Amino acid sequence: MTWISIRVLITLLLLVSQDLPAQTLIANEQVEIKQLSKTTARSIFAMRVHEWPNGTPITVYVLQDQDPTHNQFCKSVLGMFPYQLRRIWDRQVFSGTGTAPIVVNSEQEMLDAVANTKGAIGYISKDDADTHKRIQIIKVDL
Amino acid sequence: MRASLLSILLVIPTMALAEDKAWYERIALHGFASQAYIHTTDNHFYGPSDDGSFEFTEVGINGSFRISPKLRLSAQLLSRQAGRFDNGSPILDYGLVDVSLYADARYATGMYIGRIKNEIGLYNETRDVAHTRSAIFLPQVIYFDKVRNTIMAADGIHLYNNINLDSGTLFMEVGTGYTLADKNVEYAYLGDDWAGAIHNDKLGIFGKILYEHNGGEWIYSITGTRVTLDFDAGASDRVPFPFGPGMNSGEIDIDYTVLSAQYNGEKWQFTGEVAFENVDYVDIGGPVSQMNINSIGYYLQANYNFTPAWQAFIRYEEFQLNKHDWNGKEAARQNRINSQQLASLGINQAPVPAHEYYSKSWVLGGRWHVTHNVMLRAEYHIVEGVATLSPRENTVTDTSKRWDMFAMSLSYRF
Repeated sequence: MTWISIRVLITLLLLVSQDLPAQTLIANEQVEIKQLSKTTARSIFAMRVHEWPNGTPITVYVLQDQDPTHNQFCKSVLGMFPYQLRRIWDRQVFSGTGTAPIVVNSEQEMLDAVANTKGAIGYISKDDADTHKRIQIIKVDL
Repeated sequence: MRASLLSILLVIPTMALAEDKAWYERIALHGFASQAYIHTTDNHFYGPSDDGSFEFTEVGINGSFRISPKLRLSAQLLSRQAGRFDNGSPILDYGLVDVSLYADARYATGMYIGRIKNEIGLYNETRDVAHTRSAIFLPQVIYFDKVRNTIMAADGIHLYNNINLDSGTLFMEVGTGYTLADKNVEYAYLGDDWAGAIHNDKLGIFGKILYEHNGGEWIYSITGTRVTLDFDAGASDRVPFPFGPGMNSGEIDIDYTVLSAQYNGEKWQFTGEVAFENVDYVDIGGPVSQMNINSIGYYLQANYNFTPAWQAFIRYEEFQLNKHDWNGKEAARQNRINSQQLASLGINQAPVPAHEYYSKSWVLGGRWHVTHNVMLRAEYHIVEGVATLSPRENTVTDTSKRWDMFAMSLSYRF
């Protein structure tokens, strides 16, 4: 009986973990930074930091607001809700004090954009990003 | 020869700017359009609303051009039709150069030069963009539409400083500039459209301290402005009392401070703001010698997200024109005495009632993001008092104390 419960529990845990895919922060391979603090990651995705320490402009790519991967990324990596980021971007865009990131329609588009843009940063739901050419994984201290 | 010249011309700016992207890739265009329908049981708000009004239309387009990571240009054109306040003729809402003086992951400082929106409360900067507002109408007890231009924007310079701490981000901004005075301001601060005019040739000052805790879970801010307007009395304004208004040229000194706090959770959001306004009239005299603006306005709002697309809210808001004369009791008593005295001189002037001096309302509403770009809103206001209405749209001695308002809006942005 105990064994069955443990098996059921393990199966359930596996199911749950499959529902919540790992969120991976990715960047163009030329980006020299390999690790970001949560605070810096927030600043970058809020479009408040405009260049990498070496002076390369940062280009931020995101999925659409209602995309489940975007939602998961906001919550688990940035510790924010999508509506908060949207509000920050809108305030900047419509008061002239800043900009919004570039929105892509799929994770494939995200991979292509980050691979082909110097200084680009983005995220995907899988953790096999390092198998893609010209893309590196960035660690975030949570 | 011509080709090589052209290539040099193209290469020089590219090198100077150290950018890999072509110039057209560094331009971002955005815009919005919104149309509302307003129906009031009594009184006028944005047009003859007691018969239903469509006189609230907002259209805007903006562009941002990143010259380099340290230099950016941006501007927005706005057309706003709002009852008798605004006739829809396009204006430059903002137009500025953003110069980044220093920036790293922890600290950023820079300046804006040009026409800059003032950060008053949490919403003033983008108050004409429906998608950024918390409802169809921002709480009028703080974001008065009748005097929007005094605090809206100014032509000048702002310095900003942002500090990223592990716990949150601290934003500080200070600026100076010339505000944009117009007829609405004259109605609001001088009660009428006089022969003379209001000018803005004195520099105003603006300031903000905002702390965003844990990525914006909690936001606290104090924002404020001090603006001086000049009134040049016209010949007919100078005619002595009781044959004329008996006004002189003088100054209107306005102090406006807003304290704000907001909680942002996944389902619930709570917002509270309070505004203090002090207006001093210097040398003008006449009818304004009895005007005393020492006001307080506040609101509390709770929002609930049923889903990311569906949201409902409830809000209580209150405004008192004179915080030392709650509900305008003393002012109304004085008005009745003045009216009787004028009557004995053979001048018939109805007294301004107490409910002109305050406003209290409950607002219930909701919004639906039909798509990412399209939003539909509806709300119902139950109001006592008319202090937030403009004398430009209403006769102050003939307003209803209790009135309701229903509004719907359809908004688009890209």
